[in-house]
Amino acid sequence: MTQSFFQKLARAASGRAGRLLSVGAAAVVAATTFAATPAAAHGERSQQAFLRMRTLNWYDVKWSKTTLNVNEEMELTGKVHVFSGWPQAVAKPEEAFLNVGEPGPVLIRKSAFVGDSPVPRTFSLDIGHDYDYKIVLKARRPGRYHVHVQINVKDGGPIVGPGQWVEIKGDMKDFTNPVTLLDGSTIDLESYGINWTYGYHFLWMAAALVWILYWFLQKGIIVRGWQVAAGKKHEMISAGDKRFGGIWLASSMLALLFFYANANREFPRTLPMQAGLLTGISFIDNGKQTVTASFGGGSYKVPGRELSVNLRITNNGQEPLRVGEFTTAGLRFLNPDVFTSRPDFPDYLLADRGLSVNDPTPIAPGETRNLVITVQDARFDVERLSDLAYDTDSQFGGLLFLFSPSGKREQVEIGGPVIPKFQLGATL
Amino acid sequence: MSLSNETAPAAGRAWASKEEFIGCVKLTDWILLLILFLVLLGSFHIHYMLLAGDWDFWIDFKDRRMWPTVAPIVAMCFAAAAQSFFWQKFRLPFGATVACFALLVGEWINRYDNFWGWTFFPINLVFPSALIPMGFWLDVVLLLSGSWIVTAVLGGMGWGLLFYPSNWPVLAQFHQATEVDGVLLTLADLIGFNYVRTGTPEYIRMIERGTLRTFGKDVVPVAAFFSGFVSMLVYFLWWKVGGWFSTVKYLENDDV
Repeated sequence: MTQSFFQKLARAASGRAGRLLSVGAAAVVAATTFAATPAAAHGERSQQAFLRMRTLNWYDVKWSKTTLNVNEEMELTGKVHVFSGWPQAVAKPEEAFLNVGEPGPVLIRKSAFVGDSPVPRTFSLDIGHDYDYKIVLKARRPGRYHVHVQINVKDGGPIVGPGQWVEIKGDMKDFTNPVTLLDGSTIDLESYGINWTYGYHFLWMAAALVWILYWFLQKGIIVRGWQVAAGKKHEMISAGDKRFGGIWLASSMLALLFFYANANREFPRTLPMQAGLLTGISFIDNGKQTVTASFGGGSYKVPGRELSVNLRITNNGQEPLRVGEFTTAGLRFLNPDVFTSRPDFPDYLLADRGLSVNDPTPIAPGETRNLVITVQDARFDVERLSDLAYDTDSQFGGLLFLFSPSGKREQVEIGGPVIPKFQLGATL
Repeated sequence: MSLSNETAPAAGRAWASKEEFIGCVKLTDWILLLILFLVLLGSFHIHYMLLAGDWDFWIDFKDRRMWPTVAPIVAMCFAAAAQSFFWQKFRLPFGATVACFALLVGEWINRYDNFWGWTFFPINLVFPSALIPMGFWLDVVLLLSGSWIVTAVLGGMGWGLLFYPSNWPVLAQFHQATEVDGVLLTLADLIGFNYVRTGTPEYIRMIERGTLRTFGKDVVPVAAFFSGFVSMLVYFLWWKVGGWFSTVKYLENDDV
């Protein structure tokens, strides 16, 4: 007898089904036997390079502690520059939220400030300005976690700042989160209301089970199906059933009324949730800018991970200045001629010899000089900034810091299109 | 439907006794109930998480306008479909309650294991919406009226109206006021602020956005009536969807 295609397929499938099932089961066992390594990063490298470089430039980021006990507080502080050449591809930070990048609430956020303003809500940032921020975090769950500052931009997504490993010691059972209500009483928000929430929900769920079993235990399902199929559906609900249903509903509604009234009696003063956009956030007044830099073209050598930028820098200040640091996307590239000691900053983001200048002599007051700034470090590639060569908008951006002999720091925003060089040894 | 060409065994008594037959039916009933329960749990859960989503996940999304509008409307879909199946096929007036119960069992497993067990969000941030009283209402209206039209109109409106009162007994405590750094917040706002959600910035909350400002602070009744009205329409549609899904169609061997 000839077999159809589908019959052959069915036979082949049935013959191999056992083996496939065995292989599948073995794969499931293998996949679940070994402990999964917790994710350490928060996807900051996955964002396109031009977005990270030309949206928010983080600097002076500090973690007040990197080791703390449960219930101990730390501060995450720093400054952020809202890049003037904010990419067209991303919504402007007209609605933004200061957030923390961490694996769940291992530290809770007790308070957050941008400028002088507390920001438990969404706020608005202005392009081109610098803001300082402070987040007070309280340790909750023991472990070693990577903690980032982060600003979420509506319709744009999260922009993650530098991260630092923070170790928390102790026991989460000891964690408390005391909160004082407006009536003066204090509660522990970590556990507040949880028992009643369980009790209320499970009470109704138990009642639901009773209602289901009342009907199911009468005749089950199959017999009732047969009766309906036999045309007896109008005889299946008795007057007693309806009476029970009526009483059940009345009892339920009375119980609900009781719970509702009790909630109003117990909590007579309640408010609707609070929301709204905070505007007019104060920014850092950097005074009159004494340094200007105009971009004169640049290139990125893909094989050498080297960004070269032509700049025309004018020093309008009173002191000579030397180019000391370029920061972008949370990374810091330092000029070792200026930074003689290594600053305290996460190693994976700190290229302490990553910046060089073709003319290292200080730029005198009133002088305008053409310089070639070279940024070269493996971190540029590791943090996937080298993907700039493959972005739709191959423009870099960042902050350049210049230092005077007295230690004064001047900053200037630089950015512009760069041409990728895929050949080793290519020059600007 | 069978792909086998073998002839069926000769007809005869499949059970040794009446007791064995009844026992088999009862066992099958329990298996059937369990399967139906799990199917409802899984499918309703996915549906509700996709459509109600954050409104049901987080306490600081449970506002007076959007939450009591959206949550009952999307929950009505499976409640109506389950009623249609259990009532029309078995004359069982527990479809809405089974659906709500299954959803809540699934949600509580999810909230406890995933939200608390894996990511340490406290339960007072992530507890689900209470739906059981609404399920009772819908089931008893169908039981007493015996009419899906009446259930759609009366049951649907009651479904929407009962949602907020069903949840207020738990919610009220989290609407007490506090102050953080000079900013007025409810405890619900504060829980959402304290317990960091990297992917859930504050601006995605939709707290009382929209129009319907005519009734001043009495936002809930307006939202509840609107929700009840739309729930009626959803009930009509999903009763039919439930009926369609519970229709058995056979394929002929020749068609395979």
